[in-house]
Amino acid sequence: MMSDFSIILTAILIFALILELFYMKKTRALEDRNKRLEALKKLDEIMMSSTTNLEEVAQKVTDAIAFILGFEIGVLALIDEKRKVLRRVAMSHTATGVKAQTSLPFPYKQLEIPLDCEENLSIKAIISGSKQVTHDLYEVFVPVLDKNISAEIQKTVNVKTSLIYPVRARGKILGVMIVSISRDENELSAYEKESIEELVNVLGIALDNALLYQDLKETSEQLKIANERLKQLDKLKDEFVSIASHELRTPITAIRSYAWMALHKSDVPLSQKVEKYLVRVFMSSERLINLVNDMLNVSRIEAGRIEINPEPVDLIELTKEIIDEAYYSKSTAKNIQFQLHETKLPKVLADLEKLREVFLNLVGNSLKFTPNDGKISFDFFSDGQVVEVSIKDSGVGIGREDLGRLFQKFGRLDSSYTATASLGGTGLGLYICKSLVELMHGKIWVSSEGLGKGATFYFSLPVATDARLRHIDEYRIKAVGEAKGLEPVAI
Amino acid sequence: MENKKILIIEDDQFLREFYQELLQSEGFSVDVASDGEIGFQKAHMGGFNLILFDLMLPKKDGLAILRDLKVSPPQTQNGPIVVLTNLGQDAIINQCLNMGAEGYLIKSAMNPDQVLTEVNSYLGLH
Repeated sequence: MMSDFSIILTAILIFALILELFYMKKTRALEDRNKRLEALKKLDEIMMSSTTNLEEVAQKVTDAIAFILGFEIGVLALIDEKRKVLRRVAMSHTATGVKAQTSLPFPYKQLEIPLDCEENLSIKAIISGSKQVTHDLYEVFVPVLDKNISAEIQKTVNVKTSLIYPVRARGKILGVMIVSISRDENELSAYEKESIEELVNVLGIALDNALLYQDLKETSEQLKIANERLKQLDKLKDEFVSIASHELRTPITAIRSYAWMALHKSDVPLSQKVEKYLVRVFMSSERLINLVNDMLNVSRIEAGRIEINPEPVDLIELTKEIIDEAYYSKSTAKNIQFQLHETKLPKVLADLEKLREVFLNLVGNSLKFTPNDGKISFDFFSDGQVVEVSIKDSGVGIGREDLGRLFQKFGRLDSSYTATASLGGTGLGLYICKSLVELMHGKIWVSSEGLGKGATFYFSLPVATDARLRHIDEYRIKAVGEAKGLEPVAI
Repeated sequence: MENKKILIIEDDQFLREFYQELLQSEGFSVDVASDGEIGFQKAHMGGFNLILFDLMLPKKDGLAILRDLKVSPPQTQNGPIVVLTNLGQDAIINQCLNMGAEGYLIKSAMNPDQVLTEVNSYLGLH
């Protein structure tokens, strides 16, 4: 009976032992799994934290891997593309890690491996894209440290095996994670091995985030610098345009003034030829002045230096003023008739000074291209939302093929060149008109039945309705920097 | 008109001589200065019925002349002080108007007859 009992007892004991062993193994596995989960959680925390500084992220991640998984040393090295080296960015603060740092002849961050040194296992891991294992630290330090120093360090820190894992993100290798342990590689459990690989993968993502953020930070800083430089350049250009126009105008004024004096105050009678020459000098100087003015205006409009201060404007009244102004300039000499077809018209929302500039340009244009004894007529139309103004002349007209480029800069028509030469056109007036009208939420266009049949210029502007006046700020434009007015249009 | 004294402060020789000749031909008594310092000294002596001055001048710019005349008023009072410039639409013109300039003339925008019209109107003639 006793022996039976002891047999049973022994069997139970053996069974318990087996159970215990099984349980122990299971516990080990569970512990490993817990460690791995803990490490993953830690990495997750690092990634989710607001830390975006690359060096900080690298250090935290390296520490997490080494401490939680219980490795002697963890080292993270990243590729520096510009300098073509592999640069160490973090070393775990584990006891062995600290010992290793002090046993190096220089700070570990200065340990840079050229990317073309294939003898080095880290470089080999990068090139091959696969894990490398060594028992000789020299293979990790070559070519920076020699065999003797490497052996000394290995002895001091007492590590047996170094595993080198390439760190990837989005298919690109960023660097390597070097893990050094006092055991042999095959003493690592399957869980430990899996854990390292898993953590290295997550590490890649964490680093990638930090790198992206750093890139973004650098880019936005560079943008800021570039922006500052552009602002300075803009200011310089402004000053240059201002000074250049002043410097240009001084000699042109002298030419214009002396030509005028020669024509009007000569103490000898002028021959027909001399008079013709002087008239041309005078007219060319006027044209040059107009060109300087228009170029200044274009540069101000394009640089956004023009402000738009909208107010209700009576277009009929303005037209009458413009006709008066034009009448006393050139139209008398050419005997041109103005016709104004007055109607009851709502006021428009516009900047008076800018609208006057547009009007003067258009009327000046019509005057230039309308022969003596011609006619210029003004018509108005409103649907309650916009007012349309048309300025019709009996001038040289415009060919269909030229209508498109009329409002472009220097979009002057070849056929009108002879006319502009003697009339002082600049090729910029209509471009200025279009820019200004559009700044005031309006439209400008032209129609002509063809050469010799006159042309009609139209522009439309929003009616100053109560609703629009309540939101008048939507029609206001502030100048970039110091607001500038427009140079006067000469007609 | 001989009793009307005009001071022209203009650094460009051709323009200075042009304004001088133009105004003298109309019978005005014209004094000139080719830089800001001489211009200020003459304006400070005073007694001019009209002073036309450029803004960009060597040694002392137009705005500084106005400022200095404010700080140290002329011994004998002057008539209107008018900016004669080619700097159109610059903030500096408004600064001059705030500093006591009566008005401004854009040189390049005027023919000589228009200059005379303006001068006469500032002098209260015609």
